[in-house]
Amino acid sequence: MSPSDVAARMAVPARWYLGALFVWASAHKIASPHDFAVDVATYGILPLALVNPVAIVLPWVELVAGLMLLAGLRVRTAALLVAAMMATFLAALLLALGRGLDMSCGCFASRGAEHDPISWLTVVRDALWFALAVLVLAGDRGALALDRLIERRSARCAT
Amino acid sequence: MGARERSRLVPEAAAVAAAAALLALAVNALRPAGLPLVARTPYEVLVPCPEPGGLVVPLGPGDPALRAPRKFLIDARGKEAFRRFHLPGAVNVPYDWLDPLPASELRQLAREVAASRATRVVVYGDGGRPDSGEHLGREISGRGLRHVSFVRGGAPALEDGGAP
Repeated sequence: MSPSDVAARMAVPARWYLGALFVWASAHKIASPHDFAVDVATYGILPLALVNPVAIVLPWVELVAGLMLLAGLRVRTAALLVAAMMATFLAALLLALGRGLDMSCGCFASRGAEHDPISWLTVVRDALWFALAVLVLAGDRGALALDRLIERRSARCAT
Repeated sequence: MGARERSRLVPEAAAVAAAAALLALAVNALRPAGLPLVARTPYEVLVPCPEPGGLVVPLGPGDPALRAPRKFLIDARGKEAFRRFHLPGAVNVPYDWLDPLPASELRQLAREVAASRATRVVVYGDGGRPDSGEHLGREISGRGLRHVSFVRGGAPALEDGGAP
């Protein structure tokens, strides 16, 4: 089996895992936008004018990308979005750690710094998720995906 | 992945993100608990500031280092407690639990330490838990003073017969 075959096989569970993860991560942010806005503000990276727009929009991008990965719809596009988000989260985490902030990452339910503090382990975890997104981006061949079903249908209609 | 698909990826991802953003803005506008598009007042963010904490060496109240000639003694307690008892030659720098030592006072302290030609700075406080002496020691060590120690048990331990 070639490395690309291995990547293609791993891409399917990876996209399901990332899809479920992003849908789950978006849930509390969509349900409690104010709490998520506080989490965004806590990083101290964005100017005040951008805190709310990011807190409103980002969870929905996570949700849409997660659902696309789960369903197998435009998988590579969704994987690119997830990889871009993970790269952004990693940069924010590194900045916060570099500044010595003792805070919650705000990645999932806001539980406060005491229960969910950012650490180098958070960075490693996010780096792994970033690597999974890249794996899906590079390795996906459309197996068990809605894309393939749509392709077959359109091919059948064309003949 | 073909070149055609590669070139299509970024615009497609941008279009998906834009569609999600429109959906997000619409839902936010419709929901009663929606956020204003621009926050009017800064969020109250409760993040403990990183404390400048340097290395401090704990000393017992009878430690020979307290009898060494080239030491600089700092009493971290309040003025009243300092008046009641202090080690000979100690300077009073009351530790403030809420505010850091002002930079001008720290500079003055550093000048006095340098002028005394001391090789060790020894801080003692109220000996409580937490101990003001240990905290002041960590603060001044973290802000640049070197070879800082604190006395375990603070002034009470020194008064109880441990004083050199």
